[in-house]
Order: sequence, then C-alpha cells, then structure tokens
Amino acid sequence: MSSWKLAIMGVVLGIIALFAMGLQNDPRDIPTPLISKPASDFSEPSLKGDATITLTDYRGKWVLLNFWGSWCISCVAEHPYLIQLADQVKDRDDFLIIGVDFKDTREGAFRFLQRHGDPGYQHLFDPKQRVAIDWGVYGAPESFLIDPTGIIRLKHTGPLYPGWFEKVALPLIDGGAVQ
Amino acid sequence: MRVIPWLLLFTLMGVTLPTLAAERAEDPNEAQVREIAQGLRCTVCQSQSLYESNSDLAQDMVSVIRDKVAEGQSSEAINKYFFDRYGDYIYMEPVKSGANLVLWLGPFVGLLAGGLGLFVAVRRWQKGQGTQSVAAKSDNQGSVPNKSIEAELDKIEL
Repeated sequence: MSSWKLAIMGVVLGIIALFAMGLQNDPRDIPTPLISKPASDFSEPSLKGDATITLTDYRGKWVLLNFWGSWCISCVAEHPYLIQLADQVKDRDDFLIIGVDFKDTREGAFRFLQRHGDPGYQHLFDPKQRVAIDWGVYGAPESFLIDPTGIIRLKHTGPLYPGWFEKVALPLIDGGAVQ
Repeated sequence: MRVIPWLLLFTLMGVTLPTLAAERAEDPNEAQVREIAQGLRCTVCQSQSLYESNSDLAQDMVSVIRDKVAEGQSSEAINKYFFDRYGDYIYMEPVKSGANLVLWLGPFVGLLAGGLGLFVAVRRWQKGQGTQSVAAKSDNQGSVPNKSIEAELDKIEL
C-alpha cells in the first residue's frame, strides 16, 4: 500500500515540477527552426535609392541581417550598438550588416535614421513584410547571422547588446563555416 | 383611407426582403485561404488563429496565404511553408508525430491506466467486503461504537 502512495506522490510531484518548468517559459518566444538551414534568398529594393539587394551577392562573407522598423521601440534601444558595431567592423572584409526595414514607410524610416543616427550600411525595404515572414520573423528587432556558405547560424530575438559581436558572433566566425 | 399607409409600409418591407438581395459571390479561393488560416496560429497573439486575428502580422500572413493559393499551391505546401519558418508553434493543433504523440495519446493512456487501476481496486474492495460484512454482522450487537450510537439515538425524542 505504501508503495502505491509513494508512486502517486511521485507522479503528482512530477506534474508539479513540469508545471513549474512550464511557468518559466516565455509564451511569446517562438523557437526558430531555421538554425543550420540555408538562408532564404531575397532580392529586394533598397530603402535608399532604386538599387536591389540580393543576399546571394554576399556569399563568402558573414552577414548580420537585422530586422527593424521605425515603429519599433526596442529598435531605438538597439540602435546605438548597431552604429558602434558598424563602425567597429567597417574594416573587416568578411562581415557585413544588412538591415531589413519592414512594415514601415520610407518617410518613417528616414526620420528614424535622422533622429537616431545612420549606421551607414544598406537596408532592404519590406513594407508588406514578405521578407520578414519568409524569415519567420514575428517581432522586432530580430537578427540572424548567416555564414559565408549561406547557412543561418543563429538568431537573436530582441535588441543586440554591447559586446554581442565579441561574445556571440566572433567565436562562430573564428570557428569557421559549417561544412 | 387608412389602408394606404399600411400598403405603403408593406410594399417597402417587401422590397427589402433578404431573398431579393443580390448575391455577392466569394472568391472561389477564399474558402481554401480561410481553411488554412484557421489552422495556423497568430504569432503575436498566441490563442487566435491567423484568420481571427486583427494584428498586422497575422493579416499580412493571410495575404501571403492568399497569394500562394492564387499561385495554385496546395494547402499542405502552404502549411509546410509556415511550419518551416515558425516551427510547431504555428499549428493550432500540434502535429500528430514524434514527441507530440505523447500529447495526443497520453490522455488516453492515462485514462486506460486509471480505469484498469480502478477496476482492480474495486475488485479488491469487493472481495474484502464479502468477508468483512460477515464478520461485521456477527459482532454487530455487542460492539462498543454501535452501543454508543444506540444510546445517543435513545436520547433523541421525536
């Protein structure tokens, strides 16, 4: 009889433990299945001017793809670091940043860059968020790191933070591309 | 003379009968779009489908579905497109394979195990009661609790 009681107690404790673990999960965080998958190529108009930006043009380089919008409050918080990072990597020939301004208007984006500073790299303009949906984006800012062979190596949901490049990106870059 | 206003009223009512309304045909693709969008979960509101949600992202995702349906893609291909990008989360119903089978089969396994356990327990109680009731009857008269209960009952006057 006591072994039965122990078993039931164990089951109940197990359920409580699972429940407690479930409470730690953030229901807004959607894990991406895109890691280690080939990046979805795009060829889209640039935010500034009529040029088209094509992802495959940058094979052989690491690409940080940063999704943002002038409507996004966290992007304001992230922006100073992007300006700093753009300056920091401007001499590297193996790494570049591309922005994706999505669900936005050109006027809004220009005003944002004017007010908060222009990091200088190029941006796609994706008003209907077709590219964003194609990349499984559901909020902003979201960033992807794509390796020189065109494989997505990591995703960062939320603002990039000072030191992110050294802490997260560099070890991957120095470790080389997935074969 | 009072008939005229009534006639007028009924004529007006007759003109507005719903059966006389022009039918507005839905785009033939829209049924498929709706079916797909109802099965996919809005990524910013968690418990609504894309079809029900008014969020910008959900509506843009529905328009992606609409375009893909218009291109002639199958429902499976469109579902897979979103699954490949948003993972398990995107389905309103978890897929019935892999680790998710625990979700689908677990309750039934639990029900079966509980039912079997209950069956065994009831059988055991029944067996136990058979011998117990005989024993209970034999010393029914003289047991201390019964006597005290009878004594208490005697005190009550109805």
